[in-house]
Amino acid sequence: MPLPPPLNRDPEAAYPEVAALRVALRDHDWPALRALFADADAATASHLADVAGEWGGVESFLQLRLRADPECQLARTLLGAALVRAGWRIRTGATADRVSSDRFSRFHDHLRRAEQILIDVTAQWPDDVTAWTQRISTARGLELGQAEARRRYQRLARHRPHHLPAQLALLQQLCPKWGGDWSAVDTFARSCTEAAPPGAPQAVLVAQGHLERIVEYGDLRGIGDHLRSPDVAEEIHAAADRSVRHPDFTHTVGWVSVRSTFALVFHLMAEHRAAREQFDALGPYGTPSVFRYLGDPVARLGQARTEAYAKGGDR
Amino acid sequence: MIRQLEVDGVPTLLAPAAGPVRAGLVFRVGVADETLARRGVTHLLEHLALAPLGLLDHDANGMTEALFSSFVVRGGPEEVVAFLNTVCGNLCEPPTDRIDVEREILGVEESGRPRGSLGRLPLWRHGARDHGLVSYPEYGLPGITGDDVREWAASRFTRGNAVLFLTGDEVPRGLRLPLPEGERRPVPTPSSALPHTPAYFSDGAGLVALDAVVARRAAAVVYAGVLERELFRALRQEEGLSYQVATGYQPLGDATASLRAFADSSPDRQDALLGGFVDTLATLRVGRIARADRDVAVARRLEALAHPEADADRLPQCARDLLTGAPVRDLDELRAELAAVTVDDLREVAREAAASALLLVPAGLRADWAGFSAAPTFSEDSVEGKAHQGRDDHSQLIVGDDGVTVADGEAVATVRYADCAALLVWPDGARRLIGHDGIVVHVEPNLFEPVPDLAVVDQAVAADRHVTLPARPDDAIPPPPPEVGRLSRMVRSVRETGNTVTAWLSATLLDPGR
Repeated sequence: MPLPPPLNRDPEAAYPEVAALRVALRDHDWPALRALFADADAATASHLADVAGEWGGVESFLQLRLRADPECQLARTLLGAALVRAGWRIRTGATADRVSSDRFSRFHDHLRRAEQILIDVTAQWPDDVTAWTQRISTARGLELGQAEARRRYQRLARHRPHHLPAQLALLQQLCPKWGGDWSAVDTFARSCTEAAPPGAPQAVLVAQGHLERIVEYGDLRGIGDHLRSPDVAEEIHAAADRSVRHPDFTHTVGWVSVRSTFALVFHLMAEHRAAREQFDALGPYGTPSVFRYLGDPVARLGQARTEAYAKGGDR
Repeated sequence: MIRQLEVDGVPTLLAPAAGPVRAGLVFRVGVADETLARRGVTHLLEHLALAPLGLLDHDANGMTEALFSSFVVRGGPEEVVAFLNTVCGNLCEPPTDRIDVEREILGVEESGRPRGSLGRLPLWRHGARDHGLVSYPEYGLPGITGDDVREWAASRFTRGNAVLFLTGDEVPRGLRLPLPEGERRPVPTPSSALPHTPAYFSDGAGLVALDAVVARRAAAVVYAGVLERELFRALRQEEGLSYQVATGYQPLGDATASLRAFADSSPDRQDALLGGFVDTLATLRVGRIARADRDVAVARRLEALAHPEADADRLPQCARDLLTGAPVRDLDELRAELAAVTVDDLREVAREAAASALLLVPAGLRADWAGFSAAPTFSEDSVEGKAHQGRDDHSQLIVGDDGVTVADGEAVATVRYADCAALLVWPDGARRLIGHDGIVVHVEPNLFEPVPDLAVVDQAVAADRHVTLPARPDDAIPPPPPEVGRLSRMVRSVRETGNTVTAWLSATLLDPGR
């Protein structure tokens, strides 16, 4: 039985930009950090902002930087991102009825602080798509409304029409769990996919949209049946053809979670060959958080890889 | 050029204009000078002064605003002389036999006025006193007597408290202003019901509005124009959210001015309207003001001043300035001030406006996420006294020696007798106390156990704050045992909701039609 290559436990291991960012954060090397963001394209910058936001102690580093330069755009955006990440960590991913009121209040407090920083950043620099991406998350957490979240996305899209991090953030808002509905999810996923050039990663939104239905079914059999239904299966394969199976698909920052999402969807569809293809392309990399709906993310990712290699045949 | 003269001791402003004479007699008295329990006395007197004139064959009208009352006319010189003479005569000796008729008419006028969340902005900023009174119904009307009207006329509608303006080259022959002697009345100091600004309150649907207080200056006038352009661009052109967007600027008579803005949307997109409005204010607050926008806003103001009859058009505002101690400036001065406004000046106004802002947001939405504190809807503390349990099992009425509290969990509404602006009295026993801060305690005695004795409240609140209301229809009086939940709804509606919008829109918006 063929075995997958050992999984690299670091979900960011595929990206040298992230490695460089971690060094800069560890060394409190502001010039290096600034240079990294200056060289990054928008999708990379938004990804790096999320990683920086998760970095332990980043808030005090940024506060120091802001004491030296209170107007610094990058430090303010990253501080906003750090507060957003800290807020969501406090809230946890549990359903709302399982989050205590004290947690909710601290969660909202963090998001309000982030929001007020980011309001000023986007007012000053309306083309800061990373700040706008964070503001789509704050709008969701603060429950500011569907139309407001869409407005924020539109403000961003005016400057950057195909910004996957923001599209994924808005897709969450459009889900029923955040006050939206499935038709809004599908419409948005399809329009982003069609608008983006062939080979772009946007079609992952279609797969993600269907994956979100897992909360409706509650078990793997239910979501599997949904994904295998003829129309859905056809749409997912078309989405893969347009993105991860397209010759123009490139491995820019974010590609690992795009492929991991398709791998998960094919895994749930029991399309082992298609899943194997994605795991092959991923090699030692994978994004466990994509598998969080199934239980322990790392374990479930490992099982999915093993199964795809066992049943997906040799290439 | 505006000439300053005197007619019968009344300062008079004269500016040339073609056609019939336009004239106005303006007094420094308005709704902000009243008390809540006598709310409406100025408006009633304005009607009494005009009523005997009957049907006129020239344009004449009266206006009661927050700080001013005016009588305006347009016609030949003889008509103007006759009109002003009659008005002054009626102010000296108000035709009090007509009070009942005019009361009825005012009741009709009140019900025909626009109501809504915009009209309630003043009460949220100021409470149930001075500049906040324009938000309230004319509670005083039923109880105002002939003596009240005569006293108000003799003390406020005086020679010393008036300014006359006229168009034309000279004062019409035979013009007399036979008014009683009296003093210029100072502008009431605006009270605040807001512990912190920027603040917000939630009310209405599909509308977001800003009310800010800034130092009166040319830069603030220009800023109103720049803000309107930015709101129009962002909310209408780019986002397609709003149909109507407008701003207004109005001097407050005390070296400050009110800066207002509003935008509408369909109710299903009002969350985006709020977000877009907040972002637009932020854009200007952080200083992103284009030189081109400043130039257009300045040019539009200059255009208005370039009109050949610009001085004549300015007379009503100049008369109000004179009444509040502000100098009457000539057009060259105004033009120079406008031309000197820099983008940096506008940035300063934007910051000032942001710091003093009171934001109206649609009901169900909040603005704390954007840094606006919630305007108080409840009281900080309760009075001590005799407790009465609500028949709904969760509310409590406390009637104390110094005030009344109704509490329902965290929601506490307290009005102390000393701070009671009005006590509404219904013959069936219900009472409503409205505090100076705008907090309302409404008591339906039947809903409490033991049934409270409210005679103590009637005695403790000064008689001149009582408002006696007609009997309510039986089905409006909650019987014991109560309908479930009724009491808690009443406790929550602690802010007074009635209002008379004294033309919030028409008085302050520069371009409402755009």
